[in-house]
Amino acid sequence: MEGMFSMNRRFAPITRRSALRLGGVLMAIALVAAACGSGDGDDQDVDGDEPAATTEAEAAAEEPEAEVTMTQDAGDLLAVVQDRGTLNCGVSGSAVAFSETQPDGSTTGFDADYCRAVAAAILGDAGAVNFVPLTAAERFTALEAGDIDLLVRNTTWTQSRDTDLVLDFGPTTYYDGQQLMARVDDGFSGTSTVSDLDGTSVCTNAGTTTEKNIADAANAAGIDITLSTFEDFDIVTENFISGACDAVTTDGSALVGRKVKQEGDQNWVIFPPTPISKEPLGPVYIQNQSNFGDVVNWTVYAMIIADEKGITSANIDSMMGSGDLDAEAVRMLGGEGELQTKMGLSADAFYNVISQVGNYDEVYTRNLGPVGLSRDGSANARWTAGGLIYAPPAR
Amino acid sequence: MTDPLPPAAPTALAAEPVGPTVSPPDRPSLPPGRWIRENLFPNARNSILTIFAILVALFAYRGLLNFTFSEERSWIAVRTNLRLMFTQAYPEHQYVRVWVAVGLVLVLAGLSAGIWARWGGVTLKRLMGWLMSGGGLVAVGVLIREPSVLTDAAGESVRDDAGELVRESFAAAMADRWVWWAVALVLFGIGLALWLRFEDLARRTIEIPVAWLVFGLPGLLVASTWVIRYGHYAFADGEFIAEPGELVAMSTRVPWTVMWLLLIGCYGIGRVARNRAIASAQAAAETSDDAEAAGDGVAGEGAPELPRGALAKTRTVVNLAWVLSPFFLYWVVMRDPEIDYAHVFSTMLPMGLAFGVAGSAVLWWLTRSDAGEVGRLAAIGLLLLAAFHWVAAFFGWYSMLQVARIAFLLLAVAGLLAPNFAGVAAQRRRLVGAWLFVVLLVFYGATVINAPSTIETPTDMFIGGFSVTLLVSVLTIMLSFPIGVLLALARTSRQPIFRVLSTVYIEVIRGVPLITLLLFFSGVLPLFLPDGMEIAELAAAILGYTLFSAAYLAENVRGGLQSIRRGQYEAADAVGLTTTQRTGFIILPQSLRVSIPPLVGQVIATFKETSLLAIIGLFDFLRMANSVIPNQSQFLGVRREGLLFISVVYWVVSFAMSKYSQRLEQRVGLGQR
Repeated sequence: MEGMFSMNRRFAPITRRSALRLGGVLMAIALVAAACGSGDGDDQDVDGDEPAATTEAEAAAEEPEAEVTMTQDAGDLLAVVQDRGTLNCGVSGSAVAFSETQPDGSTTGFDADYCRAVAAAILGDAGAVNFVPLTAAERFTALEAGDIDLLVRNTTWTQSRDTDLVLDFGPTTYYDGQQLMARVDDGFSGTSTVSDLDGTSVCTNAGTTTEKNIADAANAAGIDITLSTFEDFDIVTENFISGACDAVTTDGSALVGRKVKQEGDQNWVIFPPTPISKEPLGPVYIQNQSNFGDVVNWTVYAMIIADEKGITSANIDSMMGSGDLDAEAVRMLGGEGELQTKMGLSADAFYNVISQVGNYDEVYTRNLGPVGLSRDGSANARWTAGGLIYAPPAR
Repeated sequence: MTDPLPPAAPTALAAEPVGPTVSPPDRPSLPPGRWIRENLFPNARNSILTIFAILVALFAYRGLLNFTFSEERSWIAVRTNLRLMFTQAYPEHQYVRVWVAVGLVLVLAGLSAGIWARWGGVTLKRLMGWLMSGGGLVAVGVLIREPSVLTDAAGESVRDDAGELVRESFAAAMADRWVWWAVALVLFGIGLALWLRFEDLARRTIEIPVAWLVFGLPGLLVASTWVIRYGHYAFADGEFIAEPGELVAMSTRVPWTVMWLLLIGCYGIGRVARNRAIASAQAAAETSDDAEAAGDGVAGEGAPELPRGALAKTRTVVNLAWVLSPFFLYWVVMRDPEIDYAHVFSTMLPMGLAFGVAGSAVLWWLTRSDAGEVGRLAAIGLLLLAAFHWVAAFFGWYSMLQVARIAFLLLAVAGLLAPNFAGVAAQRRRLVGAWLFVVLLVFYGATVINAPSTIETPTDMFIGGFSVTLLVSVLTIMLSFPIGVLLALARTSRQPIFRVLSTVYIEVIRGVPLITLLLFFSGVLPLFLPDGMEIAELAAAILGYTLFSAAYLAENVRGGLQSIRRGQYEAADAVGLTTTQRTGFIILPQSLRVSIPPLVGQVIATFKETSLLAIIGLFDFLRMANSVIPNQSQFLGVRREGLLFISVVYWVVSFAMSKYSQRLEQRVGLGQR
């Protein structure tokens, strides 16, 4: 390469085109450099006055993220979200009934509605959510890195997650549990137990705790099963339909969805009545952000209280107008007192939640009803009806 | 080469064949019966093989048809989700941007095709063959597909006592498929009619310009949307709407028509410019009595070679536009950056001016004919200074805008290249001009890339699906190409440090699986970055793909470099070219020409490998079909349809690239010298 520095200039066939070509090469180098480094710390000096809110991955990857992390260390996540004007909410984006990506690109579902509810409480606008689709593997890292403020991605609350990870868990919004599904023709019924599975082949999706749970349950019952795992529950279902699996197992909510949609002419049954594992699902947020955590928790509770009192998005205005509300509801919806303002929210924060998103029952019925999940008789029934959905009082 | 072109069309003026072809002179065509006997059943062993191959092909074809047309398929999931699969959450009211982007690409494509393309033609004979075999294929498909399942009045499938589905009789199935019979008949009929009309063998070699087919077929498709009712499926407020009576994409037929007209219009403009250039070159050649040079230009109908040097400026501009268009499209059109003008006027503009003026002065000084050793030392000093800025940034010693660091580095590189431009005033001006252009682009790019977008999308990615696949593959290919060439040059260089570094890099990257590299870049790389430096997942993925692809491209280019004979190097040295000149004008052009097939192979591989994005959590084309659609509650578990659909799209794009590379090989005369 010594020619690069050579001064031999007898021939000079450099045309304008080659000069432009040189320009092209330089540009390419510059762009590589820009792609690797445009988020450098120094850029903050320049872009520091920009709002941290951007909706694009590229932009989010550059300065604003560093800024979010910085401010999180420095202070209050609630204030950060209020300043930014949008809530970054981590969801799955491909979980039936919990967070689905619709054909028009929007995100709907039970989890997505909780993101909207929190946005309505903090920002007064249920639409001010920036959904971040995450895989199961990425979700906690994204939360710890500050890419998202809130994680509502059918995440099970466990002791190890609560202690090992830098996270706190909010109140459970859905009590799920692992169950099995098999064919009536094979002699199974709704009251079958794990011991009835002796000698059968059971299928599930790989890489989750479902695999371990069913193995533990089979050991406890002292039976032999052939456990096969597949990458995805769609493939598990296909194998079940084709007869390659005698039974399939995963969370009860997913089984019900499959049963409703894909049963066809076959007779499928879900058992045992008491799930073989407990899977309480709920919102997750970063550790030691009490103000933000309180808001998330009380948004969930407000929706449950509204359900208890029969306040829905449809009747909230007429109920408030006619004075049908009891004292607790009036306090909660901002009629009197300063319960919400003390939390750093506007007084009508939970009014916005109920009127824009709905109460617990509405959210449940809207999203989980179509896939066949019913509240009646399940753990997700109201506590007065024998379920576990219970909220502390608003006073 | 699968399609040996026939010799010159009868209308050709000169003896030169149309298109570079080495096909043997017109082989007499055999009657069909004899052709079949000689080629398919020449002896017992070959007959068995032929029959076996036909059976396998029919079996596969039948399986594909049964799968596609089965009652169990819900193609409605694909139709409803088309938009999701191509752009994900891009807001509907901003869709005009998508069309602007598509339009820009088509304008460039039309112009390029008009100016460059020497597409030659398809003989009438082959066209007839295509039509007739197409018709035959449809007819065979209609015959072998299994009869449909009977449904009762309620629309439920009928089952017999054993629970098996009841299918209609063969005759009823054939009658039900009358539309397909009609399609087969029309295709076959047109082919046959042409065949009978052009019985004369000489006339069958008349060529239909490929351009007609390439532009005509999409035109027919676009026109059909104005006539045929394809059905319309949509979602509104969570409600599923099926309106089989509505025209497909009432919303897209107007834009598609405009797009097609743009393409045709720009092709026409390109053609006119080309013809003018050829005509003026001819005229010039006639006056200078250099008939031989012009002779090349007029040979062959519709496909004369563009004279050397003609339209140079236009071609440069179009080339440059191609190179810059991805960045322009994605950052300006698709994202609509909200440029902070206060920052632009207070920082970027003055800094850009300073770099432009000071850099020009430095380069002007470095290109003095008597700059000599001092100039060289100054350039090296500049390089060291630029490198020091990056080191300093890494350790956070002092702050400086990223764009300034980039500009310093570029100035240093330009300074090192300065001796090549030294002495002649025109050359010096060119170098300075190129420098100003680069400064403009870098500062403009930095402003645009760092500005937040004004487009609000419901998720954090502004695009998804096929757009992400396209974005990643285009940027990867464009970025990895120069890196790959530089790596190849370094690996064959006589400088041990370059050679060792490049070899180590290539061997390390080639020894690591791509998915490992991607996971590393998306998950581990952020931990290595200095404090405060962040990298977007998408940028990390593009970086991983680029580094991977560059290593492979480098090996492909190196293969080409090694095919260059020693005499070429010696000849270049003998006429006094510098190493840079020898590499740029003698060695690289020849070696890149030789490497076209493996390079295109690598490009196609990169395009398909982007489906690994699904694994690192980005919503690319594959992920849409594989996990998003099967998890919509209305299309629960509907996965195979989407997978088949994206396979077809991947195939169409890859096949188009492959075809283009074949044309490119012909154009540069590969495999024929």
